[in-house]
Amino acid sequence: MTANELFAKCAEIAQNPRAQMDKYLAQGKKVVLTAPYYAPEEIVDSMGAVPMGVWGADMELNDSKKFFPTFICSIVQGIVELGINHVYDGASAIIMPMLCDSLKGAGQNFKAAVPSIPFIPMTYPQNRFADFGAKYCKANYLTVISELEKALATEFDEAKLAGSIKVFNDHNQAMREFAEVAAMHPEVTAQQRSDVFKSAMFMTKAEHTAIVRQLIDAIKAQEPGKGRIPVYVSGILTDSPELNAIFDSCGLHIVMDDVAAQSRAYRTDAPVEGAPLDCLVKKFQNTGNDSVLYDPLKKHVDLVPDQAKQYGAKGVIFVLTKFCDPEEFDYPLIKKACDAAGIPSVQIEIDRQMVRYEQARTILEAFIDVLS
Amino acid sequence: MAEEVKKQRPPVDPNSAKYKLGKIAADAYALATEAKARGEMVGWCASNFPVEIPETLGLSVCYPENQAAGIAARGAGQTMCEIAEADGYSNDLCAYARVNLAFAKIRESKEQPMPMPDFVLCCNNICDCMFKWYENLARELNIPIFIIDIPLSTTYEPTNEEIEYVSAQFWDVVHGLEKLTGKKWDDEKFKQVMENSCRASRAWLKATSLACHKPSPFNGFDLLNHMAVMVTARGKAEAGEAMETLCREWEENIKNGTSTYRGEEKHRIMFEGIACWPYLRVTSSGLKNRGINMVTTIYADAFGFDYHSFDEMIKLYCMTPNAINLEQSRDKRIRLCKDNHVEGLLVHTNRSCKMWSGFMPEMSRQIGEACNIPVVAFDGDQADPRNFSEAQYETRVQGLAEIMEANKEVR
Repeated sequence: MTANELFAKCAEIAQNPRAQMDKYLAQGKKVVLTAPYYAPEEIVDSMGAVPMGVWGADMELNDSKKFFPTFICSIVQGIVELGINHVYDGASAIIMPMLCDSLKGAGQNFKAAVPSIPFIPMTYPQNRFADFGAKYCKANYLTVISELEKALATEFDEAKLAGSIKVFNDHNQAMREFAEVAAMHPEVTAQQRSDVFKSAMFMTKAEHTAIVRQLIDAIKAQEPGKGRIPVYVSGILTDSPELNAIFDSCGLHIVMDDVAAQSRAYRTDAPVEGAPLDCLVKKFQNTGNDSVLYDPLKKHVDLVPDQAKQYGAKGVIFVLTKFCDPEEFDYPLIKKACDAAGIPSVQIEIDRQMVRYEQARTILEAFIDVLS
Repeated sequence: MAEEVKKQRPPVDPNSAKYKLGKIAADAYALATEAKARGEMVGWCASNFPVEIPETLGLSVCYPENQAAGIAARGAGQTMCEIAEADGYSNDLCAYARVNLAFAKIRESKEQPMPMPDFVLCCNNICDCMFKWYENLARELNIPIFIIDIPLSTTYEPTNEEIEYVSAQFWDVVHGLEKLTGKKWDDEKFKQVMENSCRASRAWLKATSLACHKPSPFNGFDLLNHMAVMVTARGKAEAGEAMETLCREWEENIKNGTSTYRGEEKHRIMFEGIACWPYLRVTSSGLKNRGINMVTTIYADAFGFDYHSFDEMIKLYCMTPNAINLEQSRDKRIRLCKDNHVEGLLVHTNRSCKMWSGFMPEMSRQIGEACNIPVVAFDGDQADPRNFSEAQYETRVQGLAEIMEANKEVR
């Protein structure tokens, strides 16, 4: 298959998560929904179920407004909205990590609004570096396992987890390599890049790895396209087709990202030596450079200009998901760090309820003038 | 033109609770300022961080949330917020954080001065926003950050594993502060501090519970003033004494049939959420003009920590209002409503607080049903005056009053 055919396959999956879910259910598989961020999908996979990412959808919110005030991020409101409207029917459970205030509220609301889908919170220790953090993380993984055993009517087997960890590490590696290869090929559009990351949420990792590996080979076989303006993108979610169309029509080439739904999710592998559950704990302890994780040295702030330089980006674009506290706190410091590093930066604000992106287009067009 | 005659306020009786509590609250800043002048290390501390740690170590700390509330109540909330916004902080962020980050930058406020910190003590049993705010302080001021992570208890009670996790962090912070400041932990002093904190808390919780009497012996807005001591000084011996004085005064009011609530108490409500500090007078008058007394709020009780062991203390810190799940949060409030004969619930949908407001619509709906009381919400903010509309507040409170009136007629 050519690169474009493989991209088209990713796009189809990214745009039709329900079809994917129906396909797995028809195969007799169980599906567990995984909300942002860092849900222990390896555990779900090891128990024979398919983890499927839920990040809301681009749509108007109606029913969820009975549960949330207006100033909560549209991603978590969208998860509850879709749950109320039976879009997730058939799922065996939802795992929701509690890594920001909006997710904490969303979990409690999901319980009340969607009682048909068992709600499994994953409480991560933010103070995760010391042994007490590891111990607490493991205790909460065990709670998730116990809840999954009930929801899936199956038993957890740690030996199988070792296998799943390998599958997920392979996938991480493939996703990292894809991002590197896409950085060398300006013909890879923002939309295509987004589709590859988004489709990963709705497939088994083994299936997705196979596609991504083929894609990497197919892109490498191509002559790199005409140079476009290399940029670095930071944010939570950048999957909106309207937004990606603006990136593409403005001639921007994403050479690397710091996006929660994209590269942030694939930076850290679980170690493979030792008890598998401990390896998973270690993975979380080693995860960082993210606004939603406690970051005493604010390494996330320095990562953005460092990576932007490393990948030859001419500028940094912050795609701020409206009402995201963690991102809104990091932004002023990241901007300052970019300024100090001499890297131009700009912020655009998005929301999953947005219909018109003209303001974002105007800001980006003005930014391109600065870059050129 | 007639000359304006300013009415002189009578001096406050130095034996009164008002005087004692006011002095303790003011002294908290003065003591920290003096400590800084002596060359001692001073910290900034989250309001529900275990106060037992700095108090036992003899470290002076100030409370940025308390300072931000003071600045907002004295009218400078917007100015400070705009300073932070000019640096790129979104106006959707917590206004306490914006006020404090602005203060950290300009290092002055005539409304509420505060010494600059040498370290910050952070705890997220109020919200995760605290981490991000304090991380930024630590980076911008180049000072160490100490945290106690208290996650949301997703079970009805905190689990043993959570208590063990928080306990380990408690001692980790103690050891870190010993190393940084050279101060030494003293078990005997810790015991005394715990006793002080419990004594103040017992008196405070008893005082707030006196609202069960009809009429209530106090105006609920008094709670908002007096709670500053519980935030900033509950580990100090004098806090217990002052709180006991307050309790005695309110008990005296009950005996005498008097109250600090002026006028007839026609309706009794629970107020939900943090006070609208920039509009304290407006929000208070809106109730008083309709004979409504805010007799209880979980916000006030949040700062009462009465325990009998170390584990119990940790458990209480794991059970602050924003650290518990919907069911526990709801049940605590239902108890307050029932114990205090509440007839209506007024919810402050606080633009600053995503944690407090995140599941508030569902929780208040459940409380309303369980207590068979009307629930009305208004939009506001704890420190940014731009997020409050007096007209909306008036309309909502009027609506609440009318429903309560109608309910009385039916009953």
